[in-house]
Amino acid sequence: MADEKDMISLSDVAFSYLSDDGEGKETATKAVDGVTLTIERGSYVAVTGSNGSGKSTLAKLIDLLETPDRGKIVIWGKDSAENDNFWEIRKRCACVFQNPDNQIVGTIVEEDTAFGPENLGIPNPELRQRVDSALRETGLYDLRHREAASLSGGQKQKLAIAGALAMRPEVLILDEATAMLDPLCRDEFLELVEQMRREKNLTLITITHDMAEAARCDRIIVMNKGKVVLDGTPPEVFSSGRLGECGLKQPENFALCYQIAMICGEEILPSDLESEDKLIRRIVRMIPRMVSAYIPDTEEPEDKSSDEIIMSIKGLSHSYDGTSKAITDIDLDVRKGEVLGIAGASGCGKTTLITHLNAILKPQTGDIEIRTKDKVLHCSDKKDRAQIRRTVGLVFQYPEYQLFEETVYKDIAYGLKKLKIPENEQKSRILEAAARVGLPEDVLGKSPFELSGGQKRRVAIAGVLVMRPEILVLDEPASGLDPHGRDEMFKLISDLKESGTTIILVSHNMDEAARNCDRVCAIKDGKIIKTAPPDEFFNNTEEVSAAGLDIPVLTRFADKLKTAIAAELPGIEFGKPEFDSYKEAASIVRSVRKEVKGRA
Amino acid sequence: MLENISIGRYYKADSLLHRTDPRVKTILYILYLAAIFIISTPQAIIALTAITLIQLIMGKIKPGILWTTVKPILPLAIFILLLNVLTIGQGNVLFEWRIIKITDNGIYKAVLMAVRLMFLIVSTSILLTLTTTPLKISDALEKLFSPLKVIKVPVHEMAMMMSIALRFIPTLVAETDKIMKAQVSRGADYDTGTFINRVKGYITVLIPLFVSSFKRAEELAVAMDARCYRGGEGRTKLNPLKLTLTDVLTGLFLGLCAVLLVVIDLSLR
Repeated sequence: MADEKDMISLSDVAFSYLSDDGEGKETATKAVDGVTLTIERGSYVAVTGSNGSGKSTLAKLIDLLETPDRGKIVIWGKDSAENDNFWEIRKRCACVFQNPDNQIVGTIVEEDTAFGPENLGIPNPELRQRVDSALRETGLYDLRHREAASLSGGQKQKLAIAGALAMRPEVLILDEATAMLDPLCRDEFLELVEQMRREKNLTLITITHDMAEAARCDRIIVMNKGKVVLDGTPPEVFSSGRLGECGLKQPENFALCYQIAMICGEEILPSDLESEDKLIRRIVRMIPRMVSAYIPDTEEPEDKSSDEIIMSIKGLSHSYDGTSKAITDIDLDVRKGEVLGIAGASGCGKTTLITHLNAILKPQTGDIEIRTKDKVLHCSDKKDRAQIRRTVGLVFQYPEYQLFEETVYKDIAYGLKKLKIPENEQKSRILEAAARVGLPEDVLGKSPFELSGGQKRRVAIAGVLVMRPEILVLDEPASGLDPHGRDEMFKLISDLKESGTTIILVSHNMDEAARNCDRVCAIKDGKIIKTAPPDEFFNNTEEVSAAGLDIPVLTRFADKLKTAIAAELPGIEFGKPEFDSYKEAASIVRSVRKEVKGRA
Repeated sequence: MLENISIGRYYKADSLLHRTDPRVKTILYILYLAAIFIISTPQAIIALTAITLIQLIMGKIKPGILWTTVKPILPLAIFILLLNVLTIGQGNVLFEWRIIKITDNGIYKAVLMAVRLMFLIVSTSILLTLTTTPLKISDALEKLFSPLKVIKVPVHEMAMMMSIALRFIPTLVAETDKIMKAQVSRGADYDTGTFINRVKGYITVLIPLFVSSFKRAEELAVAMDARCYRGGEGRTKLNPLKLTLTDVLTGLFLGLCAVLLVVIDLSLR
């Protein structure tokens, strides 16, 4: 047991939020409910759980941003309840929060970095030296005189780290700090903080519901309803089988192995999860069991999309400043009834492209044709604009920020009122839209601002669906949601597809794009790199990564596994890649069975 | 839709005016403000234009940048111009038709008002917003008004609030643009319809903007707390204000120009 001076220890800590119900009556909602744990100096810990599990509150309690109702928090041997220790503790703990914009205080990069140490009263020249070294470490030194607002999302989060480092903290808490970053920025961000941790012996506590991120830590603490449910190394936590009940999921690569093990009736032990190679060796040892394993035949869902083109984008280019192009010569046909995924990193031009689709941005060069039942609409034609906006529904990222009415019902009705649809027809269409997004009827009378994040998003989508668009464009519909919320969102999308709506889905998560789309169109630097059905798209992963595109985690791992199996069974042929961990597992097992039986 | 508005935006450059102590610039700004409202002769206005050109050169500000700050004010300036032309009835009548009466004095006063408004914006931009970062402006105000702390005026807090407000202008402009686009996709129309309907339409932007601003304010407060902010007491500065000889000379030069302007004007009346 380490010395108390090198520990963060919480004993029986509880915290409740007081919320006003609008009539002056206050109700207490338990956020953290009797948590006892210790974190050693220098460790790398993930605190994870679904939305509302209390994980963020826990972080705030450690940094004394909230005071516990009950229990004791001792940091490096200092009791947080004693007033004298308050600033001592707080200056040792630094936080990076989720929203990049809402934690920048200074207008200029270096001024913002200096904000923390200025508050600590650090005099010059030490102040200058701290700021400069923090900016160098985060790679922002060359941008130090830039306006903070002009940085990209990833750079803003690095600025937040610089601001934290300049305070010379001992504990760094990341409160969902990567939730708004794309996968590339996320990896870069995590590598940076991990490097800082090693160099400065920081204690790193990361609050996240991204399991791939949690897997990088030495220890994972899973919270559910304010209590610690699981606490252990990543292999221990991922093999416990209790993640599902907490609204979480295993990382895709582990999930695949678990599915294979399940099919084979084998068990994966925590020790198998220590490294990918070890895990692959374990699966390879299962080959004999695969031969006799039973796999129920799955019915391939009927492909409803036809070859009928509903929208065609022709030679579309757009430039915001007249010199550099945000998108260049985009040619793309959208088929009726399909889910078309548009994938690419932040700033690749995805948003510019989709803002053209319902004529909010007018084509500068090129055009978009939309084929409705009776006529062809052109985005370049001003007269068609009103009809295009009815035909193509566009749901932006974080659509919950556009809600404004007193009740959910009125908010959904907004578009209909603009169209001057008679009241009685309005009502039936609103009920229909609410039902399609899975909103219960009693929610309709509530204020949209008292709903949960996921429900607000449904309201916003209903507000677009109510116009009965034939094509629905969704920009990152699952961003910010926890794993359970993401699944529900994609279920909703597949239901919408079933009912005949053509869907264009923008995503930077390749796993989800591949799993949920009929075709994937990858964009890089404003140009289309490749458009194909997912299995064809990722059949040759080398070619895809050579083009600088992301490969789904599942596919990357499955490829490694397939190579290892092929070493055992030379000449084995695998089926096309699948993007659901169960389907891929079944496909691998089937291939192995076929090969082994063929030899015999 | 709103990305071209640049009131209150900082223009990055390395120039004499950019380097000048913000306290000097703030005092100069107040001087020019007074001068702009005192002068009324065409000669003085021409002299003011000349001084403004000198300031532009001292600040290395491209005319295009200045134009983006002036452009949004033009409709208001034209409105004020027309209103005054039509309502000021003193002086020699130049044109009369039914109730419309245009007089030479009216035109003169109207033009003067519009010109004053334009110079007001131009001076604010050149002396303050374009050449001085918001943090420096609030530093300057904090320093200049610090004697008021004696009578319990929360000078530091006010300066902090101001700099944060300025810092969030670009963020909120971007957000407004996003919300407008989202509402347009739901059938909102901000460009056509009667004036009242258009104003009413903006509710669909203002409410979400307010809601998100409150959320931002809350999160920012937590972030500031986490970075140990506890008021002005005991705070140090990365770039403390330092008055150099160049600052004093720049101040004296531009200050004298302003005084000269008023003297010219008064002697010509």
